[in-house]
Amino acid sequence: MTETIYFRDKNLIPIWDKVQKGERLTLEDGVAMFKSHDIISLGKMAHHVQRERSGDAVYFVLNQKIEPTNICVLACKFCDFATKAGQPDAYEMTIHEILHKLTPEIHEVHITGGLHPDWKWEYYLEMLRQIKKNFPNLDIKAFTAVEIDFFHKKFKLPIEEVLRQLKDAGLRTMPGGGAEVFSERVRKRLFSSKIGAKTWFDVHKAAHKMGIPTNSTILYGHIETIEERVIHLLKLREAQDETGGFLTFIPLAFQPGDTGIKPTNQFTSAIDDLKMIAVSRLMLDNFPHIKAYWVMLTEEVASVALNFGADDMDGTVGGEKIAHDAGAVSPDKLAKDQLIKIIRDAGKIPVERDVYYNPLNLYTSNVVGKIPYLNSVPFYHHFERRQFRIMPITPRRMGVLSEQGQIDAGLFSLVDYLRQQKTLEVLPYCIATRDQVKSVMLFSNCGWQDLEGKRVGIIDDTATSVKLLKVLLGKKYGVRANFERMHSGVNNYAEFDAVLLIGDEALQHKKSGLNGFELVYDLATEWYDWQKLPFVFAVWAVKKELPEVQRQELSSLIVNALEKGEGDFAKISLIHAKRIGLSSEEAVQYLEGFNYRLGERERQAIDVFYSLLQSVEIEFIQ
Amino acid sequence: MMLIEERMTLEKLFQNIRSGKRITPEEGVFILRNAELLDLGDLANEIRFKKNPLQQITFVLDTNPNYTNICNIDCIFCAFYRHPGEEGEYTYSIDHMIQKFKEAAAKGVTTVLLQGGVNPALPFEYYVDMVKRTVAEVPQIYPHFFSTSEIIGMAQVSGLTIREVLKQLYDAGLRSIPGGGAEILSDRVKKKISNKKGTSADWLNVMREAHVIGYKSTATMMYGHLETDEDIVEHLESVRRLQDETGGFTAFVPWSFKPGNTPLEKIIPHYATPTRYLQMIAFSRMYLDNVPHIQASWFSEGKKTGQIALHFGADDFGGTLLEENVHAAANFVNKTNIEECIQLIHESGFAAAQRTTLYDILKVYKPVEVAA
Repeated sequence: MTETIYFRDKNLIPIWDKVQKGERLTLEDGVAMFKSHDIISLGKMAHHVQRERSGDAVYFVLNQKIEPTNICVLACKFCDFATKAGQPDAYEMTIHEILHKLTPEIHEVHITGGLHPDWKWEYYLEMLRQIKKNFPNLDIKAFTAVEIDFFHKKFKLPIEEVLRQLKDAGLRTMPGGGAEVFSERVRKRLFSSKIGAKTWFDVHKAAHKMGIPTNSTILYGHIETIEERVIHLLKLREAQDETGGFLTFIPLAFQPGDTGIKPTNQFTSAIDDLKMIAVSRLMLDNFPHIKAYWVMLTEEVASVALNFGADDMDGTVGGEKIAHDAGAVSPDKLAKDQLIKIIRDAGKIPVERDVYYNPLNLYTSNVVGKIPYLNSVPFYHHFERRQFRIMPITPRRMGVLSEQGQIDAGLFSLVDYLRQQKTLEVLPYCIATRDQVKSVMLFSNCGWQDLEGKRVGIIDDTATSVKLLKVLLGKKYGVRANFERMHSGVNNYAEFDAVLLIGDEALQHKKSGLNGFELVYDLATEWYDWQKLPFVFAVWAVKKELPEVQRQELSSLIVNALEKGEGDFAKISLIHAKRIGLSSEEAVQYLEGFNYRLGERERQAIDVFYSLLQSVEIEFIQ
Repeated sequence: MMLIEERMTLEKLFQNIRSGKRITPEEGVFILRNAELLDLGDLANEIRFKKNPLQQITFVLDTNPNYTNICNIDCIFCAFYRHPGEEGEYTYSIDHMIQKFKEAAAKGVTTVLLQGGVNPALPFEYYVDMVKRTVAEVPQIYPHFFSTSEIIGMAQVSGLTIREVLKQLYDAGLRSIPGGGAEILSDRVKKKISNKKGTSADWLNVMREAHVIGYKSTATMMYGHLETDEDIVEHLESVRRLQDETGGFTAFVPWSFKPGNTPLEKIIPHYATPTRYLQMIAFSRMYLDNVPHIQASWFSEGKKTGQIALHFGADDFGGTLLEENVHAAANFVNKTNIEECIQLIHESGFAAAQRTTLYDILKVYKPVEVAA
């Protein structure tokens, strides 16, 4: 449905063509979008991209905001939070006071504050250590680039060293504040004593290279021009190409309050807010998430933004302070169930997440899991979702959430289906190799026989491929290796003798090779040469407890989608190939190599694999 | 429902609606359940511009005073009413109200939406005199008085028929009545939330009689409480049918239930979301193919939601509401003035046009193209 757009503003049509082909948008495109009054079409374009990236998921986190002090050496015009020591409203929190504000229920604490003239470096490190010690399940997101640069100068430590010590003390991610608008013109007028774009990027890139993902922001709705907004987005996109370390982008609507920049009642209009969200989603084609930060954006706009490109609602934000001092109209704390209601009403899945955006809980029913790899796109590209909701999720997480009863149907990793046969009914659709050469690759320093006792790094996403590797090693080659899980995104492959990659990441490296590994093995080829059978990586399955009517409807939706999808490899490849670094032709060829229907040979292959797996892994028995 | 879900696809349905086909109730429920927000907005917007091609949004300078808060109907969604003798009860004299109208008129107000309470102690003459004196003494304002519940109340107090009550008010000078009191035109829901208020047929009957005599009125809907998608469709279907018959509705005005201080708050603690409001605006524009205007409001759901609704099929922004007491009793307060109202419309990309109660244009305020 959303594929068809009836443009009122014809200037948007060439932009839509680019979006559909996965082409990058330019400065001129961004400006044209901001100038358009056709917000429904802008929204539909952004929603299209949002859906491709995030399905129907909207993420939130149970979080708390801590501002340890409001005493600040700076005096930025747009801020009426900061003050000076000795002022009646000045405050400084002790570590004890900070710990007192936290509870075991929350998953993320967000710490930012004024640049305190007297606090010692050790105080900041101890703050993080004590939080981690007292709340081991709580992850710390702390300190904007402005604060990091302040630490760097005040404590005379290189930026990398500041970050390293904070990371060792418990820092996991960093907020994106302090970016304001990347324009020297604006900086000179509004916050001349604050860091500029160069320092902001230096800090963030350094963090990314160290395995600390960060957020990013724009403060809009004051004196910046449309061009300055778009240039800001382009700079972020360029940096993301380089490091890939940004998690989310957060447009912050300027709160006039008593800041003296704008009349106090001149809030941004809802239309401008929605444009900012939509244009961000469209320009930042390499960002995983766009956040509708309800505290600044208002609950009203944040709700609607979930259909205009935003897939992230921040969280419960206990104790938000900066935005409130300037007169933000949001309630002090949105109760979790109100967040869930907003997200559900928007037609989305409320996904409670951890600090890295891993899903923890899904608060809705009729959830269909979607493996976010190219080879599953033929099932999902034309899927008319009706009352079902699509949740993009790695195979392994899908297994975990399904075990908890949170996924109703989906393309399950084979071993997860085998484990949960009692509760899942298989549908006659799958992802199986026809014969060989697919996207499950072992990159190795040595041949199969020499892997005995070696360290093999396993990408965290996989459920079935790791078992296939185990079966191949144990049964085909008679070798035992030591497996270690690697966290997605922050891998140091060099420490392993071999690494197992799957999905799009494997595809990327299959072509260019993986630095430091001479040998590349395709596990499906290994299996085929051995068993002369296809390998089934995933099968469609549905919860047995789902009513018959829904199971039938789902079945017909899948087959409809697949029939259309199989005839549409060229278009699918056009959209997805670039992201993985393949040509369209290579992507088509890749897709054509799969069999999507579960036939006799596929069922036989599953049985053979199942019994082999049970013999190498005694505990893997129903 | 199942049968229809098997053969219906949204795409086909939307194509049919685009080419002017009426939505059936069955299709309506299917659309509400399955369509995406922006697909609704897109189509509603297209229909809105076919009906009203001007890149323009109307608004009215108005006020919503209440002559009494005494009421014997006990709706569980209402925080405004008091019982006779209860603390805070009031009933104003006609003199007092005329004074209020004069003050409002001095501020440029052209529409007064006047409602109670349904106070059984007031004689029918009170209402007739209120109309007569308003027309005579404050000619700048157009009376938009008395909801269906009050008209039914007048019939009970006076022993007259509904038609006779409406005729006498018409002869006194009343030409337009507000559409409140409809809530949800589904007796299943009405029984639960406003048991003493009468049935859907009662509301429709007063409206029918009024339209036949020559009155114009609005139609409203209050959602976000105990209703289902089926109830919403039933409501719209009833309005559409009566409109086919009489043509007397000028506009349709949906708003959400405000739980603050009401007995229903215990069951429904949360406001309906802005997303739901936009669905209601867009869907009613699609369903009510025979109603000229859909009214969005800066007031009832918030200014930002109101602005967005102007892109989802609404072509009217309601009134500036000098005075409002019913939502305020539920702790829902929102204020504007003419300058801000015009600014909100301009920011949304439209010219702002001040209108009369009956949607005639008085003055157009063109936007100055501002650099964002």
